[in-house]
Amino acid sequence: MTVRRIKGGLAGKILRVDLSTGKTWAEETERYAREFIGGRAINSLILLNELDPKTKWSDPENLLIFGVGALVGTLTPGACRVSVETKNVFNNGKGSANVGGHFGPELKYAGFDHVVISGKSDTPVYLWIHKDNAELREAKSIWGKTTFETEEILEREHTPRRIRVASIGPAGENLVRGSGVICDRAKVAGGSGVGCVMGDKKLKAVVVCGESGSIKVAEPDEFFTAVEIALKKVRESPLSEMMKKSTLAGRWTDPDSPNWDFLISTRNGQDDFWEIEKRVKIANSGTGFPKYRKSTSACFMCPIGCMPFFEIDEGRYKGTKGEGFWSNTIMDAVRLDITDPEGMIKAWILANELGLDADFVTNVASWAFECFERGLFSEKDTGGLKLEWGNIDAFIELLRKLAYRQGIGDFLAQGVKEASQELGKGSEQFAIHMKGQDSIEPYRIPKGWALGVATSPVAGRHLRGTSIGGERFGPKRASFLAHTYADQPKYVVWQSLTKEMEDMLGICVYVGTWSGAYALEPSDYVALANSVMGINLTEDDFFTVARRSYNLEKAFNTLHTNFDRKDDYPPRRFMEEQVKSGPYAGHRCEKENWDKMLDEFYELQGWDEATSLQTRTSLMKLGMEDVARKLEEAGRLINKQISEKRR
Amino acid sequence: MEILRDPKACYGCRACELICSFHHRGEFSPGGGAIKVRKDNRTGEISWRRGSICDFCEGERQLLCVKYCTYKALRVLREDS
Repeated sequence: MTVRRIKGGLAGKILRVDLSTGKTWAEETERYAREFIGGRAINSLILLNELDPKTKWSDPENLLIFGVGALVGTLTPGACRVSVETKNVFNNGKGSANVGGHFGPELKYAGFDHVVISGKSDTPVYLWIHKDNAELREAKSIWGKTTFETEEILEREHTPRRIRVASIGPAGENLVRGSGVICDRAKVAGGSGVGCVMGDKKLKAVVVCGESGSIKVAEPDEFFTAVEIALKKVRESPLSEMMKKSTLAGRWTDPDSPNWDFLISTRNGQDDFWEIEKRVKIANSGTGFPKYRKSTSACFMCPIGCMPFFEIDEGRYKGTKGEGFWSNTIMDAVRLDITDPEGMIKAWILANELGLDADFVTNVASWAFECFERGLFSEKDTGGLKLEWGNIDAFIELLRKLAYRQGIGDFLAQGVKEASQELGKGSEQFAIHMKGQDSIEPYRIPKGWALGVATSPVAGRHLRGTSIGGERFGPKRASFLAHTYADQPKYVVWQSLTKEMEDMLGICVYVGTWSGAYALEPSDYVALANSVMGINLTEDDFFTVARRSYNLEKAFNTLHTNFDRKDDYPPRRFMEEQVKSGPYAGHRCEKENWDKMLDEFYELQGWDEATSLQTRTSLMKLGMEDVARKLEEAGRLINKQISEKRR
Repeated sequence: MEILRDPKACYGCRACELICSFHHRGEFSPGGGAIKVRKDNRTGEISWRRGSICDFCEGERQLLCVKYCTYKALRVLREDS
């Protein structure tokens, strides 16, 4: 595969910002894009090439990189996503998050595909990007404010220009590990503590105005043909119809939906089953969360539209309004045994306002609830909060305590791994994390989902390779059962590679392969990318680029941490304790079967089975000599041939 | 001729805004077309405005904003209809 010139899609420049000196400058995007297309892959390349493995996440040298997908800014359906990369604050490995909305296209219209931020500012600042220019401005008026207040103040200050804001809230300022970067009030780059890194750099917001900027398409005729094919697939997709009716979380309104069997973990993972009456209480379309949906909106260029706007005009949470209720909101509620839909709407909006990653707060809260249940925390420890299962008031109060690091919130802000080590008394057994990062995922029943979460370069999150069934996740016509081990590694690898493609192009998973919309798939990505960029990739080529991108992330983790095979097992609880009730009672992750999945997964990746580390053979095959050299210098490259398949 | 938007059906994806700019400028530039879509993040309300540079897609076989609205929120009202 050779890409000589890129003729469309890109804004053309990468913005560099050094917060320590206040300097900004730009470089061409194309030399990176020829090899790695765009978005996350380019972010990963810069991170790997420019960061010394000794760098800690809180060192000024750490980079925070925003990378907009290569097709964002065009009419490509679902193309709006921005990847955010940095060192992961939970483990100093690869940190990665992803966000939609309207910020990404605006950044490209303003002239930049990526923003690479280094250094630390002495005083709070925000970055203003407008018409191919960038400047740092003091952030006195917005430091300490919530993300909602920040957006409002900045909009006033920049009137009459239309701006887009990516900001952190009090949580990021206060270095709460699970802090996100919030765009358009409700779209969150949530994982890896990217908001915490931003706060550590004293960067309150990135503010962009694209105004008269533009993005070109190399071959318009071919592009519009590809768009029409893609839109037809969207129209014909069953998921798209359902999303329009009830949004993504609508799947949960049916108490018999397979989601309830496969995607939940109850009471901090004490069980993976939730009673029917509780399901109905929170998700029933007439009395549960859908009752409060006033409208729905879409991210930039999205033909599906999954973002509900809620307004509660009665009861204890009267006056609550805002966006956001997802599958994750349900997963979070179940985790805490909360059946109150109004309360969960309130909690999610509050998390966005405070700049918290809602999955993180759920995980630390559910660990704290279990500590309370076991008598390891008393009301004296919690500042009077009764951390009892289902107590929504306590959860909401805990969000505030976390964001402002008050009392128990200060203790929990470090995440459950370190909190449990500090507390001891057996609390490590039920501290749920992957590679140190808090995780709300189900592990014991859906084996492919668990494998995807456990092996993800971004520890413990579910967008990088999880699968629960061929009809929903994985290549078309794939056939396997979610609760079995067979064939799962194959689909996890496939899914992780298609996600690499989606993040290079900036296409949302909800119109892609992951959610089962099957609107777009790799053949569409190739047709769209070729026509927009004026390149000539085959589908095989694109899978190769995706493999390279995945290997950049793997190499980063290998060089920057001591992660290897031992770190790819589920949290202890899910290997040792069985599901207690429901149709899958008795399930757990059995070591022997898990080992077989890992063997196959590593083999498919071309990695060493014994250690999980990358091999010279497979990296050379991908043309990644530089990466092989770096790993070899660190003594972390496997030189032997990839072993034969054991089975 | 008039182009009408159904506010209840509109999701604010801005496909109309973007394709309109392509018609006028031959590239994607939301500032360069006749249509402006705005969403108030505080209320979720989406506003839609068509400016005077709209030429009803002169030279095209159909109105592009209507064609690319996947939410079927736009329709044409012709004087003779």
